[in-house]
Amino acid sequence: MMARIDYDSKWEGREIRLPFGPDFKFNLAWVKWIIPAAVVVWLLSGIYIVQPDEQGVVRRFGKAVKVTQPGPNYHLPQPIEKVDKVKVKKVRRIEIGFRTVSTGQPARYRFMPEESLMLTGDEQIVDAQIIVQYLVREPEKFLFNVRDLEAERGALMDAAEVALRQVVGQRPIDDVLITEKLQIEIDIRELLQRIIDRYDSGVKVVEVKLQTVRPPQEVAAAFSDVVSAKEDKERLVKEADGYREDLLPKARGRAASIIRGAEAYKAERVKHAQGDAEKFLAVLKEYEKAKDVTRKRLYLETMEQILPGIRKFVIDPGAGGNLLQFLPLEEGGAK
Amino acid sequence: MSPKIIIVIVLIVIVAIVLGGSLFTVDEKEQAIVTQLGKYVRTVSEPGLGFKVPFLQKVHKFEDRVLEYDAAAAPIITSDKKHLVIDNYARWRIVEPLKLYQTVRDEAGAQARLDDIVFSEIREELARHTLTEIVSVNREAIMEKVHKQCDNKAREYGVEVMDVRIKRADLPAEVAHSVYARMKAERQRIAKKYRSEGEEEAVKIRAATDKEKTIMLADSYRDAEKLKGEGDAEAIKIYAEAFEKDPEFYAFVRTLKAYEKSLRRDTTIILSSDSELFQYLSPPTK
Repeated sequence: MMARIDYDSKWEGREIRLPFGPDFKFNLAWVKWIIPAAVVVWLLSGIYIVQPDEQGVVRRFGKAVKVTQPGPNYHLPQPIEKVDKVKVKKVRRIEIGFRTVSTGQPARYRFMPEESLMLTGDEQIVDAQIIVQYLVREPEKFLFNVRDLEAERGALMDAAEVALRQVVGQRPIDDVLITEKLQIEIDIRELLQRIIDRYDSGVKVVEVKLQTVRPPQEVAAAFSDVVSAKEDKERLVKEADGYREDLLPKARGRAASIIRGAEAYKAERVKHAQGDAEKFLAVLKEYEKAKDVTRKRLYLETMEQILPGIRKFVIDPGAGGNLLQFLPLEEGGAK
Repeated sequence: MSPKIIIVIVLIVIVAIVLGGSLFTVDEKEQAIVTQLGKYVRTVSEPGLGFKVPFLQKVHKFEDRVLEYDAAAAPIITSDKKHLVIDNYARWRIVEPLKLYQTVRDEAGAQARLDDIVFSEIREELARHTLTEIVSVNREAIMEKVHKQCDNKAREYGVEVMDVRIKRADLPAEVAHSVYARMKAERQRIAKKYRSEGEEEAVKIRAATDKEKTIMLADSYRDAEKLKGEGDAEAIKIYAEAFEKDPEFYAFVRTLKAYEKSLRRDTTIILSSDSELFQYLSPPTK
């Protein structure tokens, strides 16, 4: 419409000057082509390409009329129709508790303690950060239903923060720090989805990941001391186990050696006895054949064995009654 | 030619103006009401192209999306007299643009009303609950109640409150310090517990080990003594059986052996010359 008015005024200007009659005719003929050319260009301006990861949403006079798929597409030119392209395959993410400043190597982050410090169910404070990954499921709703959906501190971030705090707030700190991380992620995802479904936002939460979950700096030392205390405990038990493993085998060895010793003693005693008995019986057998002679012989043989080594006095009992009178002899005599 | 053209131009301009004045579009993100000389005519809630009487009628557009309401963090006191700093938000929507237009005129006016409604409702409701209830037990139920009350009140401004939520419920800084102190104490307790548990277990293991060792050695002593006894008994039996055959001879032989053993080098003995050994030493008396 504007184009036509422009053309009119231009043409009007020419007529006022008028000195070149034939030229004017020529000009008019040339200008005649402008209208169809402009119309063609205008109509062609409705061609657009939807990329493979996108969908297009066409609005006619502001009303959404169709969703177009990847490939070349056409919409009636502005201002009748216009198109918004939404990357529906792109996994989008929001960060709670920190912001990625640069993704280089190494990545740099800015921490936001006012977002990440929160109360736990047992009224302690924990430092928790999450990443939320989401997809656009319904581009129409995504575009037109919530005003501040993806903005900083917008609907999604607000909802994610609410979900995080609510879920953490229901659990004691130890569950949050150690045992229930997986369940917490699931709970946050479900709660977050429930909240944004209420706004009919056309967004699907794919994953919630707990990033850092740690005690606040003020108490970090006390928490890590618990960890080392746990290790101390294990070490003490291991040491005691070591003591046990050292001592018991030795004791078993000693017990075995005592038993073996006793067995040896027993065997020795029995065998000695048997030997002695055999010997005695053998001797007895011969002795019984010639009792007197053998007895004498045994006696003499023994005396023979003993007497050479010792001091002895032989006294004739007829020489006197009292043996004591010879005692001084012992001093001076027979050495 | 020129008058004809002028007429065409004038016509076109008139059509343009009339069309421009009577056509309007309402976007997907919007809704509108049409007024005629200040008087309400109709509401346009469907997006698309609309018509109105030019010049006389006027279109007022309003947001048709979910809108944000973010309150500044404010301190509240819970029923157990604890201080909390609450940062809440609400999401809302204009459902009756006419009412909104009549009562608060526009979005900014509605925000101001929401400020009053939400804050007072939250303060009132939270004052009825303990800190534990707010933080952990039934935050969702409490907020659902606040949401219902806010929604009821907001309806008179043509506004639907979709939800009211506590974004943050934090302790004031000075209270946070005492929480940290408590957390520290708690951790120290746990650390101590672990260490003494370790010692407990270690001592138990050592004691059990010592006990086992003692029992083991005692067992072996018992078994050993038994074995020795058996050995001795058997030996006694064997000796007895053998020696019983001729006790007198045994006594004789054993005595000789005892002499052999007890009469050593430094022993002095006095022998009678008429002992059996020396009976041949003196000349035969017979």
